[in-house]
Amino acid sequence: MNSSVFHPLFIALRAALFVGLILVPWHARAGLQIDISKGGQQPIPIAIPKFLDTNPDGSTNPSTAMGNRIADVVAADLERSGLFQVLDRNGFLQDPAALWKEGPRFELWRKNGAEAVVSGAVTVNGGQVHADFFLHDVYRGAPVGQGQRFAAPQPEWHLVAHRIADEIYARLTGESGYFASRIVFVAEKGDKKWLSIMDQDGLNRKDLTEGRSLVLTPRFSPNGESLFFVSYVSGEPRIYRWDLYTGKKYQEGDYPGLNSAPSWSPDGTRMAMTLNMDGNAEIYVKDLRAGSLSRLTHNPGIDTSPSWSPDGRRIVFNSDRGGSPQIYTMNADGSNQTRITFEGNYNAAPTWSPRGDLIAFVKGGGGSFGISVINPQGNQERALTSSWMDESPAWAPNGRVIAFTREGQGRKSKLYTIDLTGQNERIVPMDPEIQASDPSWSPLIR
Amino acid sequence: MFTKSTHLLAVSLLSLGLLAGCGTVPGDSPESGQAGAGAGEDGRALGRSDGSSAYLNRAGGGANDPSGRGGAGGELEHRVYFDLNSAIIDARAADVLAQNARWLGKRNVTVEGHCDERGTREYNLALGQKRADAAKQYLISQGIDASRIKTVSYGKERPLVNGHNEAAWGKNRRAELVP
Repeated sequence: MNSSVFHPLFIALRAALFVGLILVPWHARAGLQIDISKGGQQPIPIAIPKFLDTNPDGSTNPSTAMGNRIADVVAADLERSGLFQVLDRNGFLQDPAALWKEGPRFELWRKNGAEAVVSGAVTVNGGQVHADFFLHDVYRGAPVGQGQRFAAPQPEWHLVAHRIADEIYARLTGESGYFASRIVFVAEKGDKKWLSIMDQDGLNRKDLTEGRSLVLTPRFSPNGESLFFVSYVSGEPRIYRWDLYTGKKYQEGDYPGLNSAPSWSPDGTRMAMTLNMDGNAEIYVKDLRAGSLSRLTHNPGIDTSPSWSPDGRRIVFNSDRGGSPQIYTMNADGSNQTRITFEGNYNAAPTWSPRGDLIAFVKGGGGSFGISVINPQGNQERALTSSWMDESPAWAPNGRVIAFTREGQGRKSKLYTIDLTGQNERIVPMDPEIQASDPSWSPLIR
Repeated sequence: MFTKSTHLLAVSLLSLGLLAGCGTVPGDSPESGQAGAGAGEDGRALGRSDGSSAYLNRAGGGANDPSGRGGAGGELEHRVYFDLNSAIIDARAADVLAQNARWLGKRNVTVEGHCDERGTREYNLALGQKRADAAKQYLISQGIDASRIKTVSYGKERPLVNGHNEAAWGKNRRAELVP
């Protein structure tokens, strides 16, 4: 039993907190680790007891329920990732106060079947929530990384929990998480469609528009602070930019005919889009500062759905120039246009992973549509999902999970997520009265 | 000829009346009614599209024909259909468009392009535009001034019929002329 390893860190953390330091994250090392590139793995059993509710002086404060709420959100995030089996809190053999104050008694957590245990405490003070946590490897009897504190204004306590979940995910997988992020999407009820935004777990939904005009395809800017979307407010499809924190909206051009498929360059300075003003759907890039426009495609087929590679040098897009909709890549100046899909006769809506290693797209055929991935060279195509109608893939910020729209035959359309193993398909919890489509996933909220 | 045109004009005005937000149109919602009533240019455009679908959906079913022109010798169809993933004007569509061109004369017209529910939203927006443009080009070939024709694609957003089978999709792959 080596719980003495724990104590110096514990003391160090308390000391650090006392002087107001936030300890830096520490990444995974030998021991408890998850390889998220492989499918079919057993989820890691993890114990996430309620965080101890404490006063600023460290004494226990039983009057707040924040400790339970934080633990619930952390647990839900990790469970939904498919990589963790969250153990039932009722059966725990060590109570949260003892766990926090004395450190884990690993033999008890082994009896509980846990391979990892989280100990945490939370304080609500002066309108701020701050939570401190440790992650422990039960079989090694040692902490994984150091203690860490996260804080946020009280109304944003969810963010504290999501950041803790991201940190646990990062320490055990070696890759950054995706829980402290938002999804913007098109909500629909009756004949209204409007823009709505929520946390990635489906909570905290806020409607951004009222539904008086048809809106389509919202797209988060690389910094998560602005959207592009298509609206018919003028009677014709036009692209608008919405700066979420100032509330300002701008029309991004008014070109004759179709204006659609806006896509931010990774540095946020350019927009790729589809315009029809030269008589045919072609891809253009607009410099957002200079306002200048350049045309990238020149052929009589449809060219649409551009999406940038994370280095900004390449663009993947959809074209039916070869007779059926297929996926192509090109340089960001339009040169070197290359077809990369050859299987099937409906491949569309490509979107480049933020890691750069894969392109997700919609594959149709045989009466179904699903989400597939392929590498940018056009190799190793893999189907992840299939249904009556799966579409609009949107990458999580870590490039490991894809949100998409699923519509059953005559059924309401809903948002789902799938990870790259293709084995952890989940519906995003949502008001059952509302249909949802066209997700766009924000970067991590800093 | 004169009587036929006036008759058709009457039909079209009637359809516009419905478009303005008459509460009896199936599927007409508080939203589109509201928009028609005073939300300005934007709302009207969307309400018009909804109402148009509802009215034309009934056309041809003589019992519901509000004009009561049962035996008047054929009505003018304002809609042409397309094959899967196609924007080609076939012989039947060409015939319908030619008739519309004669009837339109100096009027302005909006050509809406639509798709079935199968396929991705952005591809269908482009395909709907291609269908509207194909219909526009045909109208131009029939002597309609290009400046009188506006096109707008709704992709798969405004199906004419709500079924989820080949029969419904065939009706939804269309271009509609809205005078």
